[in-house]
Amino acid sequence: MKVQVRNLDSVSIIDSTGDVDLYSSPKLRDALLAEIRADGPCVLVNMSEVAYIDSSGIATLVEGLQLSRQTKTRFALFGLRPNAKSVLGLARLDKVFVIFGNEVEALEKIGSVEPFAGV
Amino acid sequence: MIRIAISSQARLLNVLRGAVKLCAQDAGLSVSDAEYLTLAIDEAAANVIRHTYCGSCDTRMALEINSLPDRLEFILEDWGPKVREDLIRPRPLDELRPGGLGTFFIYSFMDKCSYDPNFKEGNRLKLVKFLTQKGACNNEGPSAKSG
Repeated sequence: MKVQVRNLDSVSIIDSTGDVDLYSSPKLRDALLAEIRADGPCVLVNMSEVAYIDSSGIATLVEGLQLSRQTKTRFALFGLRPNAKSVLGLARLDKVFVIFGNEVEALEKIGSVEPFAGV
Repeated sequence: MIRIAISSQARLLNVLRGAVKLCAQDAGLSVSDAEYLTLAIDEAAANVIRHTYCGSCDTRMALEINSLPDRLEFILEDWGPKVREDLIRPRPLDELRPGGLGTFFIYSFMDKCSYDPNFKEGNRLKLVKFLTQKGACNNEGPSAKSG
């Protein structure tokens, strides 16, 4: 799994590629904890290249969501593949996260999302 | 029958996932059912690494896959401390907190989960997915059976 961060104007995009599982989810966690901070940028997680996500990956995203609430950071996911979306739905988390279809939509709308939206 | 033995390293979980997915596809499961099944077995194996072995990488575990006409059986063995079944429960889904979802995924998709009491050296977990007919699971995908 690869995790790369792109810093745009007031938005950080965390690009995740590959499988997010017990082995690799700490990399995503490190990126989330570094980017989500008080007075920091909006944070988007690009899931379009995530082929697989397990409960540890989901736990990492939940941790990011909780931190975003504490720091009042706008936080969202985009580009989820059907399998990732269905796993989130099974855990009843698809309505908890703010999820956009793609990067263009996410960049367009993240600024108008309330930090606690999706709760 | 397939039997895979690995050391208890999280980076090797993808080896188990690959075997499970292959067997699921060979059994004729749909793409989504094969993915759910792979997730369930992966979670069970991850629990061994995380909880039974507490992250230790130099221990061993094994996964046996039996493809039968009416079901797929997965037998996951470890040689760690005995699991206390009474302590295993999926967390309520209305709690928003990291963790606790692995067991929920296992129970949601597998039809049977049981530990072999006669396996003295560690834990032998048997997970079963029934097929009602070739290529179909006995439900329409996972559901929240508990939690």
